[in-house]
Amino acid sequence: MKTYFRVAPLALAISAGGAVAQSNDEAVAQMQQQLNSMQQQLNSVKNDRVRFNGFFSTGYSRASNDVGFTGVSEDSSVGDQSLLALQGTFDVTEKSQAVMQLVGRGYEDWEPVIEWAYLSHRPTNNLQLRAGKMRLPFFMYSDSLEVGYSQPWARPPQSVYGPIESTSYVGADATYTINLDNSAITTQAFTGFNDQNTRSATTEFRNLIGSTVSWTDYLWTVRAVAVTTEATVEATRLAERAASFGIQLPPGTTTLADSDRANFFGVGFSYDDGTWQVISEVTRSEVDGRFTDTDSAYISAGRRFGSWTPYLAIGWSETQDDDERTGEFLPTVPEAILNTRRDEYSVGTRWDITPGVAIKMDVTHVRGFEDAPGGLNQDYVLVNEKNSTNVYTLKLDSAF
Amino acid sequence: MKTRRTSLTVVLAALCLFVGGARAELVIIGHHGGPDTITPQQVKDIYLNRSSRLPDGQRVVAFQLPAGNSMRDEFNELITERNDAWLKSFWSRQVLTGKGHPPREVSSANSMKSVVSSTLGSIGYLDSTLVDDSVKVLLTPEP
Repeated sequence: MKTYFRVAPLALAISAGGAVAQSNDEAVAQMQQQLNSMQQQLNSVKNDRVRFNGFFSTGYSRASNDVGFTGVSEDSSVGDQSLLALQGTFDVTEKSQAVMQLVGRGYEDWEPVIEWAYLSHRPTNNLQLRAGKMRLPFFMYSDSLEVGYSQPWARPPQSVYGPIESTSYVGADATYTINLDNSAITTQAFTGFNDQNTRSATTEFRNLIGSTVSWTDYLWTVRAVAVTTEATVEATRLAERAASFGIQLPPGTTTLADSDRANFFGVGFSYDDGTWQVISEVTRSEVDGRFTDTDSAYISAGRRFGSWTPYLAIGWSETQDDDERTGEFLPTVPEAILNTRRDEYSVGTRWDITPGVAIKMDVTHVRGFEDAPGGLNQDYVLVNEKNSTNVYTLKLDSAF
Repeated sequence: MKTRRTSLTVVLAALCLFVGGARAELVIIGHHGGPDTITPQQVKDIYLNRSSRLPDGQRVVAFQLPAGNSMRDEFNELITERNDAWLKSFWSRQVLTGKGHPPREVSSANSMKSVVSSTLGSIGYLDSTLVDDSVKVLLTPEP
């Protein structure tokens, strides 16, 4: 009896549905639709609060000799160009989010480093405030410096991106965007400090203040940046080398800058219509005292042919205050070893194998450094009278 | 004779209309609570992270079909004017610099329709032959 009552409505439902076959189909379609939308809503709720992204690069470079451009010599290892990063974006409220990025680099034995850790807040649609650890916005690609996948090149042009090894700071910034008719102006002001151990030095920036302004019509982008800080630079690599020769350096010998005023200026433009991509930046960094003042520039052009984007890039960098470095660190080590001058010519291609993965091939020819091989393997350059080097790179970049 | 020609014309016109209506055409769709129309430029701005609002001021939630879908290719050709590789690289930069997230990807045309019909402030695109009353057609982009 009980069973009958339970079964009856079911049978009724079935017979009612069966009576009009078409409405049955419709009902199924409707249910399917409801199910889909419920599923989507579930997904969107899940996706909204926390999002994970990341990027990965690996590659191999080899140079024609041991001049050491970007640290690449005749025998390099794959680990040097490998990195893996994970980024989490957590929506705190509708207007606030927390962002954290962990980067593990092959040349740092994959020790994860927090590259980004900041809270951002949008009080209005046009204003964004951020506080925490962020990238120093020296260059157009600073924000995505290590995201090889988002860049056209195998590596950012070293003439401009190479000399400054400090890449992040702790502080706060405010970004204001003015939307015009099919164009936008973005101004950013930032302040903070930085302590960083890089491959060749430890640097400290204190009372860092800077600003960027950029305009774009989504085809052309023009950008300007100015930064001032008090810089302290300790040449750890120089000290290590001296120590390896058993030389005890007097205190202060490897201090290249000691709370000295440092300024940075840059202008850049880019053009991207989906087919052609042209990018150029010109930068100047000035540091009081014996540390280098460097002018740099590059221009690159690429064209997309389906999944292939071949490019050409030329770059130049030169220290502007060589006449100030007349002294010596040690009797046989003149200050002039910091003098730098070189020209870089790159030809390469990006190949988008599948969305999210790109392979890049690059040949970079570097020359003109024989009189001022700063930042290169100086002993080798001088002893072997080398005046050029070729660096061959094969790289795989991915973003997910 | 005159009447006959007229009726022939009508039939032809109707035929044309019918054929035109049945052709898989890209349409931009939205939630019923959203604006009635949108321009191609406004759609492009939303899908290229230049705008986060619909023309009526609502916060927008944009959806896209998966890679390989013919309507997605059509949308890229007519609206964003960028190919998938460009868009992937562009969005990776936006995401990893904290500037925004790409339009949410739905698995099929059916789920596109259901998610647009059930999400306030939604915008999406679909093959015109699959559109029904659950969503509003905001724009039919001209090739």
